[in-house]
Amino acid sequence: MESLKSEFPIFANAEKEGRTFIYFDSASSTQKPQSVIDAITEYYGGYYANVGRGLYWPATQASNEYAKARDKVRNFVGAKSAKEVIFTSGTTDAINKVANAVLLPTLEADDQVLVSEMEHHSNFVPWQQACIQKGADLKVIPLTTAHTIDLAALKATLNSKVKFVAITAVSNTLGTKNDIKIIVRLAHAVGALVLVDASQLTLSERIDVQKLDCDFLTFSAHKLFGPTGIGILYGKQALLERAIPFSYGGGMVALVNQDETTFADLPAKHEAGTPNIAGAIGLGAAIDFVESIGVAQIAKHNAALRTYTVHLLNQIEGVNLLAEDAGDASILSFTMEGIHPHDIATFLAEKGIAVRAGHHCTQPLLKSMGLPATVRLSFSVYNDQREIEQLKTALEEIKSFFG
Amino acid sequence: MTEKLKQLYKTQILKHAQNPFNEGKLEAYTHLIKAYNPVCGDQFDLYINIVDQRVIEASFTGYGCAISKASTSVLAKHILGKNKAEIAVFVADFLKLLDPNGPQPLEEITSDEELMAFAAAREFPERLSCANLAWLALVKELFPD
Ligand SMILES: Cc1ncc(COP(=O)(O)O)c(C=O)c1O
Repeated sequence: MESLKSEFPIFANAEKEGRTFIYFDSASSTQKPQSVIDAITEYYGGYYANVGRGLYWPATQASNEYAKARDKVRNFVGAKSAKEVIFTSGTTDAINKVANAVLLPTLEADDQVLVSEMEHHSNFVPWQQACIQKGADLKVIPLTTAHTIDLAALKATLNSKVKFVAITAVSNTLGTKNDIKIIVRLAHAVGALVLVDASQLTLSERIDVQKLDCDFLTFSAHKLFGPTGIGILYGKQALLERAIPFSYGGGMVALVNQDETTFADLPAKHEAGTPNIAGAIGLGAAIDFVESIGVAQIAKHNAALRTYTVHLLNQIEGVNLLAEDAGDASILSFTMEGIHPHDIATFLAEKGIAVRAGHHCTQPLLKSMGLPATVRLSFSVYNDQREIEQLKTALEEIKSFFG
Repeated sequence: MTEKLKQLYKTQILKHAQNPFNEGKLEAYTHLIKAYNPVCGDQFDLYINIVDQRVIEASFTGYGCAISKASTSVLAKHILGKNKAEIAVFVADFLKLLDPNGPQPLEEITSDEELMAFAAAREFPERLSCANLAWLALVKELFPD
């Protein structure tokens, strides 16, 4: 696949200003294609109105587009019904909502919640805090030497006290992928619910929530070419119906009396207040963009770039690649002997090369690997091999400077 | 390599990053100051021994980038012999060096080249938290309000 750089205006704009911009930080957030930017502008400039209320034409059109976006998401994750798709402000918001509305009301002292060692803080702290609040136990499943969740350890830990298992599909630090289907099967066997953090999965493989059989799944739009401030919580219909409303207010009620309120049906029940309409429409356009290329094509492109990077960086002595063998990933972390990741990132930034240095919101993972920080590269459809060659040259310069 | 970068990684800074001042624990100390940057994971323990109101010994352990390590090292070296009031002035001056809106020319603040080198951080706002990490932790410990 050719690089799709020309679809992303930021690169042409940077070039016009004479600035180099090589973006290797897509795992943090992807750049936006023109089609997504246009969809948002068209809404604000062409048919702006609130959804679900007005009886005039922009309100109707906005409501239609909002509903269409939900249906695109439904199709994108393979959900049975659009009722199972709740718009949130992002992954973090979705996880907090499940922790508060699904887990907390039923969690008791001595219950257990499982997470893994590779979780992003977003899929760690909400569960930890719920456990602290109720005197329950948070158990952290370790990883194998291949840096994926240790299924034997998981099996050994699962028991009837486990109420919830929250795991990421793909490590945002290493790019390694967990076997979600098996994890779900094991968890269900002891009656635990499973939430999958799919933040880094959406561009790595076609998601099918019915095949995965997970109870909840979440991702943020901004990591798949969509806008910030919008994300998805997929939940099985029966569970979303059983859960208390995520929050209370306008738009989520059926009948309000002084003494009681009956709530709207799904999905409105869990979407109080005026939603992020432009965000949802932008996400819909982002999904269209992804579908027009194909998730498999994107994953293949990214994995090929990663393989090429492994090949080139292994030629630099002192570079230590982490989880080098996670072949089909789009993320590659590394360290360099004697040079701190932040110094590397500052050097690269001066050359217009954007990478991330730090713990990537996965402090427990890095602690387990005995690393305070890494440099993380992540690839997307606008990257190409030439950029990776430039990266290699820059790293060699850094090495000789600090050397 | 750009001029800006060369300024940031001046020889004085690299020297301290590669051969830091008194790296290690102190046997006896009055203050153990934990400097931690949650954003990047840099982490230093600064040991200070104050006897008769003056710092007679200072050292540090820990891990961080060249900038944070050098700045911690320079801090440990320069507070030797100072009393609390002198430390307050010294730290305030250093923070002025790092401040993009701070005084110009730098000679108004200090004539010490080792300290002045850190003024390059003015051009790298995202690295400010590396340059001031140990210094702010010290202030918190010695001057809690
Ligand atoms: C695996 C993983 N989980 C959760 C998040 C949090 O996503 P957001 O900040 O969009 O809520 C991220 C993104 O940084 C991530 O990579």
